[in-house]
Amino acid sequence: MFWEYRLVLLRGLAFNAYVFLAAAAVALSVGLIAALLRINRAWPFRWIGTLHVEVFRNAPDYIMVVWVHFVLPLLLGAAIGRRIEFHPFVSAVIALGFVYSGYFAETFRAGIQSIPLGHIEAGRSCGMSEFLILRRVVLPQVVRRMLPEAINQFVSLFKATTIVSLIAVPDLMYQVSMVIQQEMKPLPLYTSAALTYFAVIYVVAGLVRLLSERWRNRIYA
Amino acid sequence: MDAIPAIRVVDIRKSFGTLEVLRGVSFDVHRGNVVSMIGASGSGKSTLLRCINRLETPSAGEVYIDGEPMGAVEGRDRPLSEINRMRRDLGMVFQQFNLWPHMTVLGNVIEAPIRVLGMSRKAAAALGEECLARVYLSEKAREYPARLSGGQQQRVAIARALAMRPKAMLFDEPTSSLDPELTDEVLTVMRELAKAGTTMIVVTHEMGFARDVSHRVLFLHNGQIEEEGSPAQVFGNPKSDRCRQFLSKHLQ
Ligand SMILES: Nc1ncnc2c1ncn2[C@@H]1O[C@H](COP(=O)(O)OP(=O)(O)OP(=O)(O)O)[C@@H](O)[C@H]1O
Ligand SMILES: [Mg+2]
Repeated sequence: MFWEYRLVLLRGLAFNAYVFLAAAAVALSVGLIAALLRINRAWPFRWIGTLHVEVFRNAPDYIMVVWVHFVLPLLLGAAIGRRIEFHPFVSAVIALGFVYSGYFAETFRAGIQSIPLGHIEAGRSCGMSEFLILRRVVLPQVVRRMLPEAINQFVSLFKATTIVSLIAVPDLMYQVSMVIQQEMKPLPLYTSAALTYFAVIYVVAGLVRLLSERWRNRIYA
Repeated sequence: MDAIPAIRVVDIRKSFGTLEVLRGVSFDVHRGNVVSMIGASGSGKSTLLRCINRLETPSAGEVYIDGEPMGAVEGRDRPLSEINRMRRDLGMVFQQFNLWPHMTVLGNVIEAPIRVLGMSRKAAAALGEECLARVYLSEKAREYPARLSGGQQQRVAIARALAMRPKAMLFDEPTSSLDPELTDEVLTVMRELAKAGTTMIVVTHEMGFARDVSHRVLFLHNGQIEEEGSPAQVFGNPKSDRCRQFLSKHLQ
């Protein structure tokens, strides 16, 4: 039954992968910025960072996707006095990227705060700038420490990409639903969709975990 | 003795909130000299060292490196980028080593020469090997810090500071977190640095080291220099009672 629908499944899966990669990039960069705001010494920055984390961590993916696709363009359009529409792919990436940036911000913050101040002071006494210390001393260690947690979040994000079919991004679920409407065979189609997701996530996540453990162990042995 | 000291500390004061930790400390360190700083826990030794390379901003007073003020240029506060530039001239060695665990030993040593001084990787590696040789750790260049003993880690930290070719080295109790059998290897390296004419300020509880190696000894009490002089003076015939008490406790 896989074989019959392999092209449909693969085409759909490719879209899941696109949405996942783009949303992950957004989530990581926005999450890092939010984390840096949260640990800033100036309280207005801290406040903005905290607000960001609380808003996006507590927003359901589904509502965010729908809101960004249908409401945000109206608001932005009203603000600039022109009708605008988001491509479904763009809405999906923004919505999922921001929701997950809330989670990643917390992971980054915990990671950054776990780095001993002494490592940073050693950098300062070598004349390194704060930015250089962040880039060369802090973040490389944070990435290693947060990897196990981040992999779990990436898995959640990948699973969350299935809801973009709601706003007509032609992902795997969307493709499968389309075929089901024509062929009326929900059992084999939904089952192959489920099995495909399972197989992809199981294999890829397992592999990434294995590689990341090897990499971490070299340093903390 | 040359006119301009390598380090001149003038009336440094530091408070944390209402707690006055340093109450006006002044002294000079001449080029090639070793100054040891001793004193009870909480007397402000670390804070003083950290004020010198501005890991702490002094509440008042000024530090001059080769005559150049750390905290100000042309009467205005020195911006952070400029302070970073001044800090290159002061190597710091911490009680807790503070090596970067994700870099190899050589990586730790050449990081700042490459990124801060803009040296080529090749030139930095040659310099790094030279610095590691000075602390007798050439064969550990490609290890990660977690694989080294405490004494070896501290020697790497010394090599990392030396690689910046600083004008002076600051040591904050470099052997205090080491097992007793590992302190000697670190002290040996420090003695050799002193013999080679390195300008050093050393906060230490190793009275033997302070007596043998230093040109001057400062006894800090309650944020002030209570006693100061040559090792012979301070250890042989201290003027202050507190210094005498402190020494009788620490010289068995
Ligand atoms: N960042 C800080 N905030 C508040 N108080 C501080 C801070 N750093 C140091 N202190 C206080 O300043 C005093 C002097 O501390 P400092 O670390 O300079 O002493 P020390 O002479 O180095 O002692 P030790 O021998 O234990 O290392 C202590 O009472 C300490 O609690
Ligand atoms: Mg101290």
